[in-house]
Amino acid sequence: MKRLKFYLALWCAKLSIVALKLTGHRGTDFPGRIAVKICPDFLRQAKVPGQILGVTGTNGKTTVCNLLIGMLTADGKKILDNNQGSNTITGLTTAFIRDMGLGGRCRSDAAVLEIDERSSRVVFPMMEPDFLLINNLTRDSIMRNGHPEYISRVLSRAMPAKTRLILNGDDLIASNVAPANPRVYFGFESMEGDVKECVNLVNDLQICPRCHSILQYTNRRYHHIGRAFCPECGFHSPDLDYEGRSIDTEGMRMDVRCGDKWEHGFRLLNESVFNIYNVLAVTAYLSELGYAPERISQLLDQTEIVKSRFNVDEVGGYRIIRQMSKDRNALGSSRAFDYVSGLPGDKELIMMMNNLSDAAVWSENTCWLYDCDFEFLNKDNIRNIVVTGPRAKDYYLRLKFAGIEDERISFVHDETDAPGALRLYPGEDIYILYGTDSIDLADQVAEKVREQIREKAAGRSEIE
Amino acid sequence: MKIEVLFPEICNLYGDLANIRYLKECLPDAEVINTSLQTRPRFLEEPVDLVYMGTTTENGQILALDQLRFYREQIMEQIDKGTNFLITGNAMELFGERIEEDGEEVCRGLGVFPGIARRSSVNRFNSLFLGTFEPGPKAGQDGTEEEGPITVVGFKSQFGHTFCEEGDTGLDHLALFTPERGPGMNRYAKGEGIRINNFFATYVIGPLLILNPPFTKWYIRNRLGAPIEELAFEAAATDSYNCRVEEYSDPKTGLYYWGGTNQPWT
Repeated sequence: MKRLKFYLALWCAKLSIVALKLTGHRGTDFPGRIAVKICPDFLRQAKVPGQILGVTGTNGKTTVCNLLIGMLTADGKKILDNNQGSNTITGLTTAFIRDMGLGGRCRSDAAVLEIDERSSRVVFPMMEPDFLLINNLTRDSIMRNGHPEYISRVLSRAMPAKTRLILNGDDLIASNVAPANPRVYFGFESMEGDVKECVNLVNDLQICPRCHSILQYTNRRYHHIGRAFCPECGFHSPDLDYEGRSIDTEGMRMDVRCGDKWEHGFRLLNESVFNIYNVLAVTAYLSELGYAPERISQLLDQTEIVKSRFNVDEVGGYRIIRQMSKDRNALGSSRAFDYVSGLPGDKELIMMMNNLSDAAVWSENTCWLYDCDFEFLNKDNIRNIVVTGPRAKDYYLRLKFAGIEDERISFVHDETDAPGALRLYPGEDIYILYGTDSIDLADQVAEKVREQIREKAAGRSEIE
Repeated sequence: MKIEVLFPEICNLYGDLANIRYLKECLPDAEVINTSLQTRPRFLEEPVDLVYMGTTTENGQILALDQLRFYREQIMEQIDKGTNFLITGNAMELFGERIEEDGEEVCRGLGVFPGIARRSSVNRFNSLFLGTFEPGPKAGQDGTEEEGPITVVGFKSQFGHTFCEEGDTGLDHLALFTPERGPGMNRYAKGEGIRINNFFATYVIGPLLILNPPFTKWYIRNRLGAPIEELAFEAAATDSYNCRVEEYSDPKTGLYYWGGTNQPWT
């Protein structure tokens, strides 16, 4: 009876894929939803590929998964992944269904799965990852995830005993998940720009997990990420199995130590600290899978970097940059603000990280604005910030609270009208900061910015 | 003016510490004292104008209680004496009788009020809040002149609710706010928060003082005793507040968030 349910679920879900194709839908977890409805333990019954490679954590899951998929595929492996769907149980189930034949057998060699950290308590009883990378655990959606200590507890309780963990050793919340599991750590002993004191509003690990005294940092990157120790009891960040150093942001390379041996020239995606960690994370992952460091470096060179979260266009002497700045995620947005504000040159920003799904049903919980470092945007070369969308008035208040004068803030109700408030100083960069559910809207706004620039150029040539 | 913040190293979730940053903007001469877990609270040694404590983790609740338990009697005395306490988010639960998780007692509270916090290790309860605050007799008016109710808005995002042995509505007579839309202390309660003398505690976050300029102005003038004319960024804060009051008063705006739906919790 159990197997019958499994096959019924599989075939119904397969039929729904055909129907979705015919109706022009894509990237949905509908097939998985059907399968789980008919057969709640569908994933447990599935004949999974040779290896289940999981990636979880607050930030960087998608980038790390995309890199892993790209590198393993470049090595000739056939990979099952969920990068077109959701990272919850129904999204994962959909990914398996797409890979399965009608007999229920997966065709791929391995599965690379982005797993929502909170969903681990539902996913892990159904499917035990052989390896799981936890990139970081930081403050995320208040409504869904609460706080990182809670997520750490959820992961620890759900973690299958066999799963080998690949952990960010510079994140004491992530590195303390499921302490009984086998594990390796990756991280950086030091990095240019490190500080000792926290310069961010959010610092989620200020006390020693062992004796509760105030922790000290020898090297802090941002928030609670860095190398810490307790002066009272001697507790310290874990020793690193994989270490990065010599980061060259001009040549876009870094050195990596795998075990005792240093290897040179690993390619970087870009100069953001997040992405430097992402490269080290995939290097550690592939090394754990048995790849030699030289081969990992080669595969990194061959891999196309997905640019969905950072896109640049050049129009009429302006650069238009679409930069994802995750809504309801104080840390993700703080990192984006820090990155954007640190880049040289004059800039104007369109701030539209409103959560549109919330706006449609109720009203966004904006607590996160006061955990997020809007103060990074208080720089002279950020000459105008256009706040827009349902929460524009809240952004305006928050920017005032960050010390930004009225003259550098513009208010526009509708996002698509926001480009009209740009001042278009010659040669500047225009950043569109958008959230996870405003990707399409950001594209529309970018197009309007392009039009605006063209109109300005046409107006100038008419005058001339 | 002295404002003491209890345990900011752990009681710092959901933007709550911005309540104090905002007070500092409104009252630039105020001295903010950050008291860590290892330090004896200042309000036990000398008068302070406000003791503030914000939202923390579930483990943070236990660590904070481990410290505050030593001073339970003195805290009760201070509340009786009229010292101002402003407690937001789940920090309120520390001042009740006990905290339970999934039906089991996690720890004893300070017993300032007879509340039992019951939380779930799985579910998270999110909602918006629209309610009123009754200021009571105007300060310095001999109780003859009443100020009208002040509308209060904010958010709730928590793992549990507070109940009472005497029934789910047993804390209503101590309520700080009266909900108009959105939940009270629990889904049956008609009141939100606790008000005992100048001990003000509420689940409402926002940050409360930034989202509610009318309440904040009343609080600064009438409880902290500072005769300020204008709050920091008052025009922008009031604009945002008016917009939110209108939005939350609209019956089309859902007040409960449950898995992306607009349904009350079940």
